[in-house]
Amino acid sequence: MKTKTRVTIWGLSAFLGLVLLAGCGKKEATEEQPATTAPAAAPAATPIDPATAATVSGSVKFDGAAPKPAKIDMSQDSNCQGSNTAENVIVSDGHLANVFVYVKEGLGTRAFDVPKDAVTLSQSGCKYHPHVIGVMAGQTIKIVNGDPTTHNIHPTPKDNREWNESQAPQAAPLEKTFAREELMLPVKCNQHPWMRMFVNVVKSPFYAVTGPDGKFEIKGLPPGDYTIAFVHEKLGEQTQKVTLAAKDSKTVDATFKPGT
Amino acid sequence: MPDKPISDNDPVVSKSLAPHYVVAMLVLMATLFWALWDEDFGQRPWKAFQHEWKDRYTVFLKGAHSQSSDSEKGVEGSSEYQSLKQTFDQANQNAAPRFREINEKLRDLGAKILALQNVFTDRRAYVNALTYEIETDTSASSKQSKQKDLDKYKQEIAAVELPDGSKQNYNYPRLEEAYNQLKDERTKLSAELGEIIKPVNAQKAKLDAYVSERMVNLTPSQLAGLQDKTEAWSPKILQINVPDANIVDRCESCHMGTREPVKLTAAAMSVKGKKPDAYARAFTSHPEPDLLTIHDVEKFGCSPCHQGNGRATTSVEKAHGTYEHWLWPLFPRGNAEAGCQTCHAADMVVVANDVGWTISEGKDLFRQRGCVGCHRYEGYDKEPEDLLSVAQQIKQIEQEKKDNLKQSAYLMKQADTAESNEEANRLNDRAVALKVTNSKLDLRVVQLDRTTKSLLQDMKKVGPNLKEIRLKLNKNWIPVWLKKPSDFRATTKMPNFRLNDDQVKAISAYLWQSALADSLPKRKPGSAAHGKELFETRGCLACHSLGEGDRTQGGTFAANLTRVGEKDNYDYLVRWVHNARERTRPYCLLEKKDIGPEDYAKKGLPYVFDLDHTRCPNDGHELQVQNMTVMPSLRLSPEDAQDVASYLLTLKKQEPSVYADAPFMDDPNLKEEGKKWVRHFGCAGCHEISGLEDEGRIGTELTFEGSKPIERLDFALLTEVAQRGGREPIADADDLSRLPEGPAKSPWYDGKGFFEHKLAEPNIWDQGKIKPETEKLRMPNLHLTKEQIRALVTFLMGSQESPLPASYQYRPLDYRRDIQEGWWVVRKYNCMGCHQLIPGQKTSLMAMTRYQGADGQEQLPPKLLTEGARVDPQWMLNFLTDPSLSDVGRFAAAGGKDTNRNGVRPYLQVHMPTFSLSENELGKLVRFFQALSRQPFPYIPEQVPALTAKETDMARSLFSSPAAPCLKCHATGDPAHDRTATAPNFLQAKGRLKADWVERWIIDPQAISPGTSMPSGLFKRQNDRWVFSGPTPPSFREYDRDQTKLLVDYILQLTPEEQRRVGASTGHARALGGIAGSGFSTVSDAAGHPPR
Repeated sequence: MKTKTRVTIWGLSAFLGLVLLAGCGKKEATEEQPATTAPAAAPAATPIDPATAATVSGSVKFDGAAPKPAKIDMSQDSNCQGSNTAENVIVSDGHLANVFVYVKEGLGTRAFDVPKDAVTLSQSGCKYHPHVIGVMAGQTIKIVNGDPTTHNIHPTPKDNREWNESQAPQAAPLEKTFAREELMLPVKCNQHPWMRMFVNVVKSPFYAVTGPDGKFEIKGLPPGDYTIAFVHEKLGEQTQKVTLAAKDSKTVDATFKPGT
Repeated sequence: MPDKPISDNDPVVSKSLAPHYVVAMLVLMATLFWALWDEDFGQRPWKAFQHEWKDRYTVFLKGAHSQSSDSEKGVEGSSEYQSLKQTFDQANQNAAPRFREINEKLRDLGAKILALQNVFTDRRAYVNALTYEIETDTSASSKQSKQKDLDKYKQEIAAVELPDGSKQNYNYPRLEEAYNQLKDERTKLSAELGEIIKPVNAQKAKLDAYVSERMVNLTPSQLAGLQDKTEAWSPKILQINVPDANIVDRCESCHMGTREPVKLTAAAMSVKGKKPDAYARAFTSHPEPDLLTIHDVEKFGCSPCHQGNGRATTSVEKAHGTYEHWLWPLFPRGNAEAGCQTCHAADMVVVANDVGWTISEGKDLFRQRGCVGCHRYEGYDKEPEDLLSVAQQIKQIEQEKKDNLKQSAYLMKQADTAESNEEANRLNDRAVALKVTNSKLDLRVVQLDRTTKSLLQDMKKVGPNLKEIRLKLNKNWIPVWLKKPSDFRATTKMPNFRLNDDQVKAISAYLWQSALADSLPKRKPGSAAHGKELFETRGCLACHSLGEGDRTQGGTFAANLTRVGEKDNYDYLVRWVHNARERTRPYCLLEKKDIGPEDYAKKGLPYVFDLDHTRCPNDGHELQVQNMTVMPSLRLSPEDAQDVASYLLTLKKQEPSVYADAPFMDDPNLKEEGKKWVRHFGCAGCHEISGLEDEGRIGTELTFEGSKPIERLDFALLTEVAQRGGREPIADADDLSRLPEGPAKSPWYDGKGFFEHKLAEPNIWDQGKIKPETEKLRMPNLHLTKEQIRALVTFLMGSQESPLPASYQYRPLDYRRDIQEGWWVVRKYNCMGCHQLIPGQKTSLMAMTRYQGADGQEQLPPKLLTEGARVDPQWMLNFLTDPSLSDVGRFAAAGGKDTNRNGVRPYLQVHMPTFSLSENELGKLVRFFQALSRQPFPYIPEQVPALTAKETDMARSLFSSPAAPCLKCHATGDPAHDRTATAPNFLQAKGRLKADWVERWIIDPQAISPGTSMPSGLFKRQNDRWVFSGPTPPSFREYDRDQTKLLVDYILQLTPEEQRRVGASTGHARALGGIAGSGFSTVSDAAGHPPR
């Protein structure tokens, strides 16, 4: 049917209808739809009132005989000098080092600014220093080679993109980021198979790594109920709940057992 | 007529028809309105869709526009953009003064030219007219006088008023000169302007490209275009019409978002704050836009893939074809990939980047689960058919040869008595030609014989050879297994046949009594601990699995071996592990019997049969010399095989002796009864069984099963139940859990409902029927999972006789055909259990605990993402023939000495097994890999240029540079060093690797094999060539070629001596202790005297 014909027929019938059923017509209100598909902007960082900020600190213990650190055979590269013990489980006086401690739950949907400062990972004596680091997702990791030998840095993530780059002695530092949360993301050097470290990528700035004395401290937390997680590369993860009031300073300790 | 008073009750007076008229009029009016409404809307539901589309899409585009503006701003905010912008502004600024100047000059020039032009064109016209008159004049005198006039005219002075108001006088020649001069000047200036604007335009192009490359979605201006288009839309039918294929698809009249250039989800197309409704779901864009790019919609339309009634527009049901008068209803969402099968029936793997496609899973299951054992399906398991056709061809050729011989004899005879020499020669020539033809035919037969051999080698059975069960199995276990195989091994391919006890007894008895009674050599017990290690590391678990339920590790391709210790005999298992293809007796297809030593002895031949000895001693025909299994040889030594077998026998839940004694298996009275049932259930479809080698398939052909009209699918007594829906007839809880869509809620009287119910509980149509045992449905229960049934049903639904022209069938003749054929072989041997062939595809090994973590990943077999571009096809052929790369003959596994060598990567514990592939399959695989990488075939290797002494020195300095310590990871052949090696020996590069590939590899290995141990960043791009990232010696200063090439050429020419010297000098080969550290000095003086 041509548009013209159709318009005529409809017009005619409408006229007839109007004569017959005057007053019965009902005008339909059309509602203008507001254009409301606003872009989902990244949630802005919620400021934390420093006056109410609380602190969690504590120490991580190792319950059991400290395992004897395994010796590493570094003789394949004469440029590798330095301590040649493995860094799997470092215990001194019952204190466990290299445990990544972070706020696992309780921050809700709060978002945080990614620090502009880079975290430095250095390679010297054919070892990574530090052995465990924490970064926020998107934060830069600056990788430096201080050894007279070539290394390659090869993270093998589960949920991030894998890469593997060579770094010659005195080469410019590599700057890398990881976009997604991932714990104990292993990084290795294929040329020096004993070289191993772990990156922990989290979404909040509330994390710490235990030192040789097993101690850690997380500052600046807003009051609330939190789950604190302790993650060790070999011994797995433990969690503990803690409630922080404004300006609280609480201690949360954890104990790992061999083989747990 | 006297006037009569009108009576009061005269209806004319007292009654009115007005109400009737009003009612009638209202009814008529209503009818009219209804008719009009129906004409315009009732019959045109798509109009409502289009109005709704217009509203919703406009809202969507508004939102998208503001988002896009934001992201454009975001892109423009980046420092890279800013620096580009700065360069652009700078260029613009630099060009501006001159640009302005020239433009001004051009403007002035233009005005001047115009002023001159006015006068000049007039005068030129006059000159031309006069010249013409002179040319055409016939008398010489008149010509002369006219010439004079012309000269005079030319000398006349004309005044030109210039744009600045001044006047200039010109005679004609000077006017012409001035005019041309001005025009030349203008041309020159325009050219200069072009030159000046060029860098500005180049910068502008860079700037625009930067933005459009970084904008994920459309730019604001593109979106504005869409908005305008949507606003101007007036409802109309949209159709794709392809007359050649009889496709008329009007689907897009409602599904308007299908091809929009933005991603539309149901949520995005919903009314704000409401859940996605039918409109929102209809307006989404096609979920796989890539598929639409491959399959041009203007050629393919919609219905060839999705089915449904493309022409219908009056209702959703009609358009989707979900009504009883339409034979091809829309494929349901869960089975949408059925549509692929319409054209891709010849493919085993449907799409190049096939990861997790349901249809491919269905195709694979159909083969792996042995459906082909009972049901013929075009393209599957076609070796027996090919064998017949080859035999037929040979017969024809033999006949042709005979005829040719006869004919040539006749011709020669005629030639002898021919009348003229010419005639005789002509006849003789023809006779000779026929003889040559026969030679060709002879050679063709030789080829066909080789094809026969190949086909026999390619022929595999889904299940094991039951002729060998007396050697292989715990006798008492057999009836227990037959009763319900999935009770013993939940994931087995062997289906449950619902046998009653008598049938079990009879079948066991037949199988036992018909099996070979040979004996096997006694084997010494091995070390189970060592066997365990071998089993877990050699790669057995790429196909086999261990553990049950959640704790299962390994592949699903072959049997789960958790309880293998309860059923297998040690001596047989040792033979099987050592070489599964080894047969007890060869089978002669011609005589239809298993040939034994006695047959060989009769002819005085040694009792030897293997792939090099395949002829029957009795009649010279090809024998089946292998077990028809796809299990390869892992090149284990006999001792290692004993260790593995010893370990496997420790895998059990109970002692083999626990199985109840089954004396009935030796009862000769049961044998005939057993044979009857074995034949009845079609056991020989999947197994080799004595006396039943030539049994045909017992099931219906399924090639076009999806085309069967519903009336031809027999729902038996459940027809009404299915039509009405509601009650689910499957009662068994296990079977119920297999239904992909769960228990029936709505009517399921369609192909999907039939197939799903049949596969979930194959004897479902026997419900309520009274039948003798022999007439009951024979289809066994394959104990499939929901997902497997969904995949198989998708495959079956798509198995249709396509109404499309043949050209729509995907049967390519170019390199894609090699890919198509190759996948069948790749899937047949489960290459993907170990190797990644498609990025993102998971291998069985990758999922195992052992191969997790950085160190585990290093132990995985190599990825084959670019294999065809990587290796020389000739090398690949050799490697596939014998992956150990030992030079002891083609079938090293069968008895070669150097069986423990592990090919290219000795540092891997997983070994590439020897598959003993036929010539046919070897060819297919090599062509497949070359085609996947689009490499030319045959391959003509590039000549590696010989390096000069200086170049060699330079290349060596790269090779041994501390910034690229190649020999730290790459194996050198020195056992002490290779203990820590994680990469192949460079000496294998020559003859194996393609130079172009190696160069690409050393530049960015992560882009070729993601996750490889080889790091990227060894070379960087500088001044348009590749240079080494680390420090280089001074000799490199004048070198202006790619330094990568230098290194590649060096590696491809590397000699063992050179490698040893470099290894020693860089101290990476510790075992060379004595000379380590002696440095480069050894290089020159040790030439020809390798330092060892």
